[in-house]
Amino acid sequence: MKLLSMAIAAVLINNIVLAKFLGVCPFLGVSKNSKSAIGMGLAVIFVIFSASMLTYGVQYLILKPLGIEYMQLISFILIIAAFVQFVEMFMKKNMPGLYASLGVYLPLITTNCTVLYVAQDNISKGYNLIETIVNSIATPLGFLVVMYLFSCIRERLDYATTPKPFKGNPIGLIVAGLMALAFAGLAGIA
Amino acid sequence: MIWAILLFAVLASLFGVGYYLNSKTPKPEGCKELTEDCEGCKITSCELNPSRKEKL
Repeated sequence: MKLLSMAIAAVLINNIVLAKFLGVCPFLGVSKNSKSAIGMGLAVIFVIFSASMLTYGVQYLILKPLGIEYMQLISFILIIAAFVQFVEMFMKKNMPGLYASLGVYLPLITTNCTVLYVAQDNISKGYNLIETIVNSIATPLGFLVVMYLFSCIRERLDYATTPKPFKGNPIGLIVAGLMALAFAGLAGIA
Repeated sequence: MIWAILLFAVLASLFGVGYYLNSKTPKPEGCKELTEDCEGCKITSCELNPSRKEKL
């Protein structure tokens, strides 16, 4: 029950984009159509989950036993950056189909601060391995849900009669603000 | 302190090797012209930022 509550909170209440305001760059940049939004969301789920597992292992098998926890931030940044490089290379060589659909989003994920946030959040909140797995899937799932909803709204906005100064990103930011208000109304569920 | 320096060296080398190998790996057939519909933000270090494409 605690894990379910944690997952619901990560997806809806403490949403990474609308409550924490992280990952706003891909949220605005890759949400013009729903297909791109889903591709980006899936790539983020894969990278955040894998990077969180790696950083969890490094924290408890290397940093803590050696007493060099102060190296956490720089280590996590390097691990995430290196991991994305190897994933991209692996996909280029062995999974051309997957690379065609997700590969283009990988460089954008390297600069996505949500990856580092989730990795550090797992450690700072003292989650065990199961809780880390749940949090590392639920948090980017919240990103995917919000990206998809936002992209669907933006697709409809293309056909709406928006005043010229509000076209594009300005109306997108207003919609994002309204979505954040709507998601704030979900507080108290978990 | 020595462990911290050693760890940093290992991780930095890992990233350097990964970056080099990735840049040398050719893209699969049909993926050479993949483009992203990102309009760009203020993060100019991102590979997809339009300002970087203009420089190339």
